[in-house]
Amino acid sequence: MGSAETLEIYPLKIQRGLTQLSFLRIPTRPGATRPLFDLLERHGVPVRFLIEGCAGDYNRDLIVCIDSEAFTRLEPELKELEIRMQTQALELRQPVAVIRVLGPHFDIRPGTSSLLFGALQRADITIFSNATTITSSMFVIPDDQVETAKRVIGRTFDIPKKKK
Amino acid sequence: MSEQSKTLDIMRRIGAPRPERIRISGILQSPLLSSLTLLLPSGDSDPAAGVLEILGGHDINIRFINKYKDSAGNTSLCLCIDADSLDTAISTLDVHEESLGIRDFVYHPKVKVISIYPHKQRPRVAERLLTTLRMNGVDPLSTNNASSVVSCVVNSEEVEQALACLANAFELP
Repeated sequence: MGSAETLEIYPLKIQRGLTQLSFLRIPTRPGATRPLFDLLERHGVPVRFLIEGCAGDYNRDLIVCIDSEAFTRLEPELKELEIRMQTQALELRQPVAVIRVLGPHFDIRPGTSSLLFGALQRADITIFSNATTITSSMFVIPDDQVETAKRVIGRTFDIPKKKK
Repeated sequence: MSEQSKTLDIMRRIGAPRPERIRISGILQSPLLSSLTLLLPSGDSDPAAGVLEILGGHDINIRFINKYKDSAGNTSLCLCIDADSLDTAISTLDVHEESLGIRDFVYHPKVKVISIYPHKQRPRVAERLLTTLRMNGVDPLSTNNASSVVSCVVNSEEVEQALACLANAFELP
């Protein structure tokens, strides 16, 4: 295994033109998030990014990213969705992008996350959200910071060039 | 008994309509881990980077991260680390509590990450995962998706129950 600076990762996967929806302080009960997922399913909208976390006092926070084009179609139904989900706040961010960094050694190499977060922070990249599991790390960032993020990640890790 | 528990109890007794099972390829579980959830101030710099740098400097391996901004504008950071690193992580974060500005800190010493694959960005897979677990009394501490899996952090004593109810809710090969 090489040094941290030359750690090899797979080519980046970038999804642009997305909207991040943060449903904050939803009651922790079975089916609380069902209205959202049912709506997305009904309209054939893929979930590009998802995290759910504890918000205290038996509440949860749910953050999803969907295509902005799909968001425009669903926007008229958001108010009713908020009521049905009993969410206390809904925050929107757009346009955002999701960058997926996939590395074969991420799960066995201490310090990799620090390397990635640190490099993005030093380049003044705003990380709205992050979901990391085993070897995959997905960052939600402002869409207009994608090119800078690509350069920074490319300098931090070794990304093989795609074959033509 | 809280209102929520009453509703859940009634639903369990009378039974909820059984939805069609969703076909998946498999369910994975991680080795034994520990979870740390920190509430950090949001400022000009990303506070999560500081926490990860300190833990990485102590050779603490991080296998799961959820980071987002909560309703109060704080950064919520949930991490899963190897269980045998927990004491080192706690003492390290204690030392840096002030400089990192840690506002709240909760840990669970024994957790596992359960992952369902493939997710394929399908909304109903995430919905079924969350609802099935909660219907069966398992409250995931944290949930996220990656390119092909959707994963949740569950207390280790609830893992068997979680796997059993998920095996009923999803169709496995």
